[in-house]
Amino acid sequence: MSTGARQRPALMHLYWWFLFSQGGVIAALLIPVHVLIQGILGPLGVVRVVDRHYDTWVQVLGNPIVKLYLLVLIAVPFFHFAHRLRYLLVDFGMPVARTVPAQAVFYGGAVVVTLLTIWVLLTTAPLSLP
Amino acid sequence: MPAGWWTRKRHYFLYVVREFTALPLALWLLWLLVEIKRAGDGPARYSPHGSTAFVVFSVIVLLFALYHSVTFLSLTGVIIRVKLFDRPLPSGLISLAMFVLWAVASVVIGFVLIWFGR
Repeated sequence: MSTGARQRPALMHLYWWFLFSQGGVIAALLIPVHVLIQGILGPLGVVRVVDRHYDTWVQVLGNPIVKLYLLVLIAVPFFHFAHRLRYLLVDFGMPVARTVPAQAVFYGGAVVVTLLTIWVLLTTAPLSLP
Repeated sequence: MPAGWWTRKRHYFLYVVREFTALPLALWLLWLLVEIKRAGDGPARYSPHGSTAFVVFSVIVLLFALYHSVTFLSLTGVIIRVKLFDRPLPSGLISLAMFVLWAVASVVIGFVLIWFGR
């Protein structure tokens, strides 16, 4: 006897959850040291940092491993941020944040940031092998 | 839910702060993207962010970033289940491993950012 609709695995849920958790891990492991060194110690002149001078900055940005690293560092956390901020709005009494259009805005925003990052990385410094 | 629910208990407030960390971190990463984009302007026009306002902004972001790291890495022991010889590893050990990984990653990245800045 047929039991009707078969239960399908929630693949999309798995996909977003994976990006959410990985984005959280990457943000936790990598962002503080970048903020400390590139955002505080470098501008204050405490240490010499790679992005303070054009020559050193362009040289590292041309490295394909650096480009890949920066893509992961910048793009993946946005899927985490999108999830957190969407649910924060729900918690603040905005059920509209649960809707599909809201999901499209938040996760679509993360996709836009990903594409923008790829574009910036590919067009800024020419690829150069070390 | 009443409007100010998150201010009524310390636990709720800290939860909202934890979720809110996403916004300053996102803004800072967008700044980093701008810094990368500026490298395409050429040597004459390149000017990295360095104003006092930017440093103050980064200090505030760093506090949020550290809060995200501590809370998220503490949670990994609950989220990640690792079995060794058919026995689950204690959650505290998994969190500790993530904190060690954080320290190692920070030292390595910090070294690279400074080493190539010479």
